[in-house]
Amino acid sequence: MTTMQPTVTPANASSSVVAAIPSVQGRSEVKTIDHSMRRRNRRLVLALFYAVLVVAVIFAIYPVYFAFLVSVRPNGQLLSLDLVDALLPKTGISLDSYKQMMFGRQPFFRWLGNSLLVAGTTSAASVLLATSAAFSISRFKFRGRNGLLILFLAIQAFPGVLALSAIQILLTKLHLYGNPLGLVLAYSAGSLVFSTWNLKGYFDTIPVEIEESALIDGCNTFQSFFRILLPLAMPAVAITAFFGFLAGWSEYALAQAIVPAPTPIQTLPVALFALANDRSVPWGLFAAGSMLVAIPTMLAFLYMQRYLQSGLTSGGVKG
Amino acid sequence: MTTARGWRKWTIIIVLLLPTLTGITLVNLIPMGYNINLSFTNADNRQHNGRDDAHAYEYIGLTNYQTLIAELVTNEALIAFVKMILVLLPLIGAYWMARRMVRGKFIKPDTRPIWLGGLALAAILWLILNGWAAFNVLTQNDFFVVVLRSVLYVIFCMPLFLLVGGVLALILNNPHIRFKSIWRTLLIIPWAVPTYITALIWQFFFRDVGTINTILQALNLQSPNSPIRWLNDPILAFGAIVLVNVWMSYPFFMTIILGALQSIPADMYEAAEVDGATWWVSLRKITIPMLRPAVLPAIVLSSISTFQMFNTVFLMTQGGPIYSAGKPGGTDLVMTFAFKQAFRLGNYGYIGAFALVIFLILLVATLLSLRVTNVTQGAYE
Repeated sequence: MTTMQPTVTPANASSSVVAAIPSVQGRSEVKTIDHSMRRRNRRLVLALFYAVLVVAVIFAIYPVYFAFLVSVRPNGQLLSLDLVDALLPKTGISLDSYKQMMFGRQPFFRWLGNSLLVAGTTSAASVLLATSAAFSISRFKFRGRNGLLILFLAIQAFPGVLALSAIQILLTKLHLYGNPLGLVLAYSAGSLVFSTWNLKGYFDTIPVEIEESALIDGCNTFQSFFRILLPLAMPAVAITAFFGFLAGWSEYALAQAIVPAPTPIQTLPVALFALANDRSVPWGLFAAGSMLVAIPTMLAFLYMQRYLQSGLTSGGVKG
Repeated sequence: MTTARGWRKWTIIIVLLLPTLTGITLVNLIPMGYNINLSFTNADNRQHNGRDDAHAYEYIGLTNYQTLIAELVTNEALIAFVKMILVLLPLIGAYWMARRMVRGKFIKPDTRPIWLGGLALAAILWLILNGWAAFNVLTQNDFFVVVLRSVLYVIFCMPLFLLVGGVLALILNNPHIRFKSIWRTLLIIPWAVPTYITALIWQFFFRDVGTINTILQALNLQSPNSPIRWLNDPILAFGAIVLVNVWMSYPFFMTIILGALQSIPADMYEAAEVDGATWWVSLRKITIPMLRPAVLPAIVLSSISTFQMFNTVFLMTQGGPIYSAGKPGGTDLVMTFAFKQAFRLGNYGYIGAFALVIFLILLVATLLSLRVTNVTQGAYE
């Protein structure tokens, strides 16, 4: 475009129109050149993209792969002072650590069951709480609605770690200390803020007219909620359930404070950590335990991927 | 939507909200109130051992708050504060001038000269007022140090989250990339593994005889006799906790940005291409504005949780390197410092005050960011 400088200075409107014509021609010329160059460049750009992806994937998976290597190393050693050992299972693969973790002295399946119970209940509870709260906020206009939304955010701003001892005392009074139910309560309330905001945003994108016509056809409010809105909001509901499950499955600090080790009802993270701090326990055992905790969540992420994008973003995109 | 009116409507609303409000009251509001109450007492390890002995401590007024900011209310510190604000004034002025210049204009004028001028003025003021000395006065106060460091942590982390997540999302959104779902699955793994496990793995990587030094030595980039002590140097350790947090958090942003990218109508780009827009121009004028509504709430929420980062930092460095007992270590952020004060030293009253002040700071920051970014506007209607 710069090569096609108009020779006539546009002193008035008509000459500027004349001057515009060559520049338009110039543009299309440049564009065809651009196009063939683009075709040649595309391979380069794609190669660059793939290179970035490969580097990113190595960055993303190496730490997890490392834990996997430790878990299958025959002697369960953490240390490896040569490069090959840090990259490949040089000394062979052994499943001893896994066997020892699952069928050894510790009641692994009991811990697994505790974790599953806590995570499953948290998931169900947070879906129940968040959907009903988000439904009322999204579908009703009432005084204090905006205040409620701000309150949710404000709660998020309170440093939760510092309230740990207060939560302990409260749960003790409610006879929920050392009780998995106490954990469920804490987790569901903890994940409420995000879930409610996310679900509310998602509900907002679903046209009210659909429910209105259902109401005219004789549904009541709850029927229209359960039969119409909830199925339509499935991605966001699935995300809420998933995050609730994750909160229960992989949280450590609260679990340690509310159901402290050692007890048969401790959750898997707490139990694993107690193992990691015990110096007589080989690293391989901890690594195997970590993999056993991580593999289900990785599979769950794999399965939930189609929901992750739609369930997380549609709410916000509406804007 | 419903046809219910009056008391029937309120009954429905209350029934729907009651479980949530009960949960929040039990797990959030009551502990908050309890902590605020403690902040006016001298509760410590002796009276407060996890059980509630309400009568064992005494109310001591605002003493805890005085301890918290003691070094910040001396004459010297107040002067230092005024100096800091003076240094910041040109930047705030530049912000307002730039906003006024841009407001209501269809073709946005170039605001860079104003920003450069503001920066230069700030730098000159910093030199004239001896900003460094004033700054050192303020860092006598533990609270100021950890708050400032947490703010820095957020400032370093957030752009990196967005950059790494955004670049990967843009690449994965390219129609010519193959095996997208495989790439996406692999890239999401850091999100899928519980943080208490990955933080420990990374901690091992950064040890003196950890994986990073092993690799450096194997590549002959480092002699085995003088390993880099990653977690013992405050700057390297800070870099390490930033890196680990980026590793843990970019998948979330990648997912959100990818989802938002896919909801941008393709004809917008086609129209832009017809108008001769380059890739860079359409990125700036279409992609980024269209991403804003989806990404901004995530940024606000993630900033708050990054400011309150506890798990990762505690498992990586325990706030170290530690210089002296009771003082913040080289990587102590707000939460790790407060946690150690509360549970190792047992200063429950002091921690109550600490929590309330942090809460107020974050609340103001949240509300301000909501106003500035108009996040709620989109979400409300």
